[in-house]
Amino acid sequence: MSKNQEQEFVRLLEENQNIVHKICRLYTNDQDAHNDLFQEVTVQLWKAYPKFRGDSKFSTWMYRVALNTAITLYRKGKRRVQTQAYDSVEFKIEQKEEDDEMMEQLTLLYGAIKQLNDIEKALVFLYLEDKNYKEISATLGISEVNARVKMNRIKTKLTNIINP
Amino acid sequence: MDQLDILKSKWQTQDASLPRYSSEKIKSLLHHKSSSIVKWLLFIAIGEFLFFSLLGVVAHAFNKDYDFIEIFGEGFYYGTSAFHYVVIFIFIYFFYKNYKNISVDQPSRSLMKNILKTRKTMKYYIWYNLIYVMVIGMWGASIALDNDPQTIALKEMLAHDRGELLVDLMIMGIFFVSYAIACVVLYLFYLLIYGILLKKLKRNYFELKKIEI
Repeated sequence: MSKNQEQEFVRLLEENQNIVHKICRLYTNDQDAHNDLFQEVTVQLWKAYPKFRGDSKFSTWMYRVALNTAITLYRKGKRRVQTQAYDSVEFKIEQKEEDDEMMEQLTLLYGAIKQLNDIEKALVFLYLEDKNYKEISATLGISEVNARVKMNRIKTKLTNIINP
Repeated sequence: MDQLDILKSKWQTQDASLPRYSSEKIKSLLHHKSSSIVKWLLFIAIGEFLFFSLLGVVAHAFNKDYDFIEIFGEGFYYGTSAFHYVVIFIFIYFFYKNYKNISVDQPSRSLMKNILKTRKTMKYYIWYNLIYVMVIGMWGASIALDNDPQTIALKEMLAHDRGELLVDLMIMGIFFVSYAIACVVLYLFYLLIYGILLKKLKRNYFELKKIEI
């Protein structure tokens, strides 16, 4: 691939990297595994980039490649290195006082989602990213109706986890 | 508005807490080696093709000691070899076709389905080879009964006052059990490799399938 293509790709990924970081945070349990999955997603995105024709938005295409990498291609999904467990460090970034409550809720939400299986995680992730059911069904390869039914069940499951 | 919708609004404000990679860092990641299961599937497939091709060559070389060509004729000997290699090339073609259909930007379910299809081709390939090894092995054994000095010596040792048919059956039985054990061990070995490699994928594929029922 040309130098220009590489520059363009790096720019697009840099702009949209939050999508990948959120997926890494959902599917891994520590910082090393996070970096590892991020690297694998980057490699897969770069390998598939020549086929990206711009019919859809780069970010839409990225959701699909990144999720497929996390739930299908990535081999080290269950690795648990106890060096720096995520849950204790992931939100240690300096926050203002008023953000504390929000961070607490986010930690709670991440903790709850992590109790779901890989496919449920993918569904709830796309839902939280404000994707409509048409996009969710196209990304996962299931029907819109079934995506909606499953999402309703996951909502109940998550509410039960959050409010035991 | 349910609780998840409230959390959804929080979710969308988390950007500040996420790590931020510089363009230099992203650039450095581009050319790293992939550790995806698709790559491993390819490596294992190449390994299988090489292993069984080599086994075929060794088996034929071994059979040469029994004057295989003289007993069965050139046509039959080369015919079975040609058949075997044609079958191998057909498998390579199907494997390549399935492998090319694997694309990371497919919908998840299609991607998983295509990977499992590739694995299925390899499963049939292993089955074909094990059956081939078994048939050729037993065939070689039946020839060895009358031509191989070592087998003849074994026959004499077992003979005593037993009938020839019984001794022949005993020896064929020994060969059969030995080949069967080798085939089972080989098959279990591949089951283990694919089992480890595709465990997560299978679990997620069935989970997606379950949603569609």
